[in-house]
This record gives sequence, structure tokens and C-alpha cells, in this order.
Amino acid sequence: MAEIPNLRLSLSSSPENVLLVRQALSGLAEAIDLDPLELNDINTAVSEACNNVVVHAYEGSEGPLEVDICAGAPSLRVLVRDHGRGIAPTVMAADDEDGVEQAVGGIGLPVIRALARDAEFRDVEGGGTEVQMDFATARASALEPPSPTDQPQLPAIASDGLASTMALTIAPSALARTVLPRLLCALAARAHFSTDRISDTQLLADTLVAQTDGSLSAAHLGVAIGVAPRKLELRIGPLRSGRAGAIVLDSTVDGLGPVLARLVDAHEVTVEGSSEFLALLVAAER
Amino acid sequence: MPSATATTTTKMTSTRPMSVDDLELKRLFTRWQRHGDRAARETLVRRFMPLARSLARRYGSSSEPFEDLLQVASLGLLKAVDRYDVRRGYSFSSYAVPTIVGEMRRYFRDAGWAVHVPRGAQERALKVRDTQERLTRELGRAPTVNQMAQRLELHIEEVVDALAALQAYEAFSLDARQADGREELASYGESVGADDERYELVELDATLASVLSHLGSHERLILRMRFVEDLTQTEIAARMGISQMQVSRQLRRSLDRLRALTRAPVQAG
Repeated sequence: MAEIPNLRLSLSSSPENVLLVRQALSGLAEAIDLDPLELNDINTAVSEACNNVVVHAYEGSEGPLEVDICAGAPSLRVLVRDHGRGIAPTVMAADDEDGVEQAVGGIGLPVIRALARDAEFRDVEGGGTEVQMDFATARASALEPPSPTDQPQLPAIASDGLASTMALTIAPSALARTVLPRLLCALAARAHFSTDRISDTQLLADTLVAQTDGSLSAAHLGVAIGVAPRKLELRIGPLRSGRAGAIVLDSTVDGLGPVLARLVDAHEVTVEGSSEFLALLVAAER
Repeated sequence: MPSATATTTTKMTSTRPMSVDDLELKRLFTRWQRHGDRAARETLVRRFMPLARSLARRYGSSSEPFEDLLQVASLGLLKAVDRYDVRRGYSFSSYAVPTIVGEMRRYFRDAGWAVHVPRGAQERALKVRDTQERLTRELGRAPTVNQMAQRLELHIEEVVDALAALQAYEAFSLDARQADGREELASYGESVGADDERYELVELDATLASVLSHLGSHERLILRMRFVEDLTQTEIAARMGISQMQVSRQLRRSLDRLRALTRAPVQAG
């Protein structure tokens, strides 16, 4: 039935998080060598769907915003989901035309329909709405879809003392390599990191993707991220038993030391059932 | 995580009785399309201009000047006003949106946008790079993205994108300073000088047996300053007489190479 996404983002429905979705799409575009024009189409349609969630799903407050990206021929599928009152009533109003003001407020649906090859709107069981958009692109087959048994498991992060948290799962590592650095850099910028530390964060993201490849106990790399002023907290996994500590050591270069440990301010291994997670703290300055 | 099971599919079109507003629109369209009344056409365009403006803002990539896009969107609106068939029964905006979006897509396609880095994006990347250097001098340390966004009156996302673009532009140079297309490091020698030799002697022993010996001396030097001496990228940039962004690119590339060199066969279980 439902495909397993290559990328799942689980965010809070704030306007600034829509920008993160766009960063993820830019990373996807880089991974599959998407035509910039196609990326612009996808970006615009997906942003419309996300903005609808931001503005309408939770009647003025924030709630979960989930975005799935599924690659694989013949098209790229993006799902945008909320668990609020749903956007269906809003998009229905798009055909209503009592004055342009209202039409402008409700042109999300026509825009999505103009840009996606196929768009469907559904109710989500338990409340909420899901928008499914299929985009025709020859590059959709550039990524291998995960196998149907590889359910993504989003890691969690304790939200104490954090301004916001988010989580993502991503596979394969070729996609993580282009998406994770963009997301972490955007979050580091949000956390008021200097350009120095943003660049360090990018090095960290590169290193994490490279070192976790082959060490995961699931098909998807899971990353939970907490943002606070001047710091980022990360939780990476699930890793096979013994691998969380090992990937820090594996990053060692003779003469430089463990590069991964040098790029963070603290790291810690936590065990959860038969898997391990690596918790990392990155501060805006040392 | 709640399940995403779809239970019902919403029908996306709706029919409803005509309002006074609809009737007036219909009259305007008839006046223009049947009787060639230019005033009616103008009224329609003015009335739906907010729609074109909104679409230009939504569809536009942040790298393209908004005025250009608005012009293209307006052209799309004109076409929609001329071609909309009022007897078909669907609303004008449901006809106009795809027409306007189609016009903008064609514009991007014709502008060769798909093959070239858009000029707007290039110019912005250069501005961001210069502002970063200027603010670094003013503040005595690397600025935040917020500080750059404020100075340039750009959105934070635009600065983040520009920084990503600066990373990606590695393969070709952005300005005349590196216009010879040679490896950035080629000119490092002049600016580093004596300091470099000192480092070379100290590190010689440690490096001979290390994977680091596969890298050039400047690459090793930058790695050591960052990971052994724990200097910031801006401090390294100042010592090397290059930009922080160049340090960042160099580190990224060096670490990539080291990983490729040391990649062990995948461990089992």
C-alpha cells in the first residue's frame, strides 16, 4: 500500500520549518541531479501544501507537520501530512470566488494542481489531512526505494531546554550525504552559529553520514535534532550494538585524532533495546 | 507516529450558485471578448492582478528579480483574460492559475535557467561572501547568518542558500580573482611563507607513516590548524590569507579524500 519513504521529516508546523522542507528538497535535487526547473516546481507545490498546514491545520497554533519523499519510477511522490482539523475545507474554498482576496488566499490547490502531475487530498485516520503529490521527472528513478519491510523509525529527543525539535529518517546514504548537511547548516544558522561553526557543522554532517554507513541496525539513518539558542543537540541511530562508540573512533586520522569528537562539544552513547544511539552536542562557540 | 492511512478521498471541484460578483465578472468578460471593450479588459486585469502578484511570489525562485517575474505573471494573466471561456462554468482563477504558472515555467525554460546558475544567485553569493569578509573584519570574528541577512536585507534562507552555493561553486571561479581556473591552493605559497616551513618540520615525522602523507602540505597544514591546534576556520583563514569559505571547502575536500583513502571493507555483523 503506502510506500516506504526515502526521506521522512517530522516537524512542528511553524513557518520557518517550511524553509527546512525546501532545504531538504534542494538536497534531494542535488542527490538525483534534478533539473532546477523541476526543483522549482516541486518546491513551490510542496511549499503550498506545507503553508496550508502552517496556516490552517491547527487554527493558529502549531502541531505536527510530516513530509515524506518517495523516489522510484515513474515519478517522485511527496506527501504532506497534518493531524489537525485538516486542510480539505480550505482547499475546497479555492474554487470559491467571492472576490480576489479570497481567491488569492486559497490558490494553494490550483497551484499544486498546476505543478504536480497528480494531486490527491485525503483524510488521515484519527484526524488530519494528507496531500499526495506526484511529480513526473525522469530523475525519479535515480534513487532506490527502500524495501517495503523497512519501516522508518524516527528517533526521539528530550525537548527539555530546547526551543524546537525535529526528526528525520533517510535512506540511502547517497541521499543523506546531500540532505543532512543542508538541514544541519540551516538549523545551525537558526541557532545563531557563526559561519565558522556552520561550516564545522557541515563537516560534522559529512562525517556522520560517512561513519554511520554500514553501522546502522535499520535501513534508514535516523536523526533527531534539538535547537536552542547557540546550540544543537543531535541523536543519531539506530546503530548496531557497539557501533556508536566505534564510529567516533573510526573517524580517527593519524596525526589529527578522532575528527568526529573534535567537531562536537560532547558526545555520549545511549543504549535502547538491542540498538545504540549516539548523542552529540554542538555549541555555537567553544 | 500516527498512521497515514487514507480513508476518504476528497473530491476537488465544487459547484455552487452564481453570486452577484460572478454575474458582474461574466458581464466584464463578455464586454471584452465579444465586443472588444478594452476598458472591461483593463478592469479584469486590475482586479486579478493580486492573483498574478501572489503567484509570482510563490513560484519565483528567490534568485530571480521579483519585478521580472511579475511581468511574466502579468502576461500570463492577460492571456488568461483573453482566453477564459465564461460559458464553461468553472471559475476564472481555476483557469488563470495554470495559465500564469505555465507562462512563468516557459520563461524559466527559455532563460536557460535549467543549465546555468542564475545570474541573480551568483550575484547574491558574491555579495554574501563580501559581506562575510567585511563583517569578519568589523566584528573581529565570524558573523552569524542573522547578522549577514540584516546587513544585506535578505531573508535568512537566502543567505543559507548563498553559503551552500558558495560551497558548490568550487568547480569554477566566481570572479576575476580566481579567473585562471587553477586550483585555489596554487597561490597559497606566497601568503604562507616561513610559517609553513616551521610546520613542515614539526609534522614531518608524524606524517610519514600517516594517511596524511597523501595530501598536499597546505591541506595538511589546514587540517592540523583546525583539528590539532583547534583554531577556528576564520583564524585559519587569516593565517593563510584566504577566505573562511575557502578554508571550509578545503577541509571538506581533504576529509572526503582521507575517508576515501582509509575506507575499510564493510565490517560484518
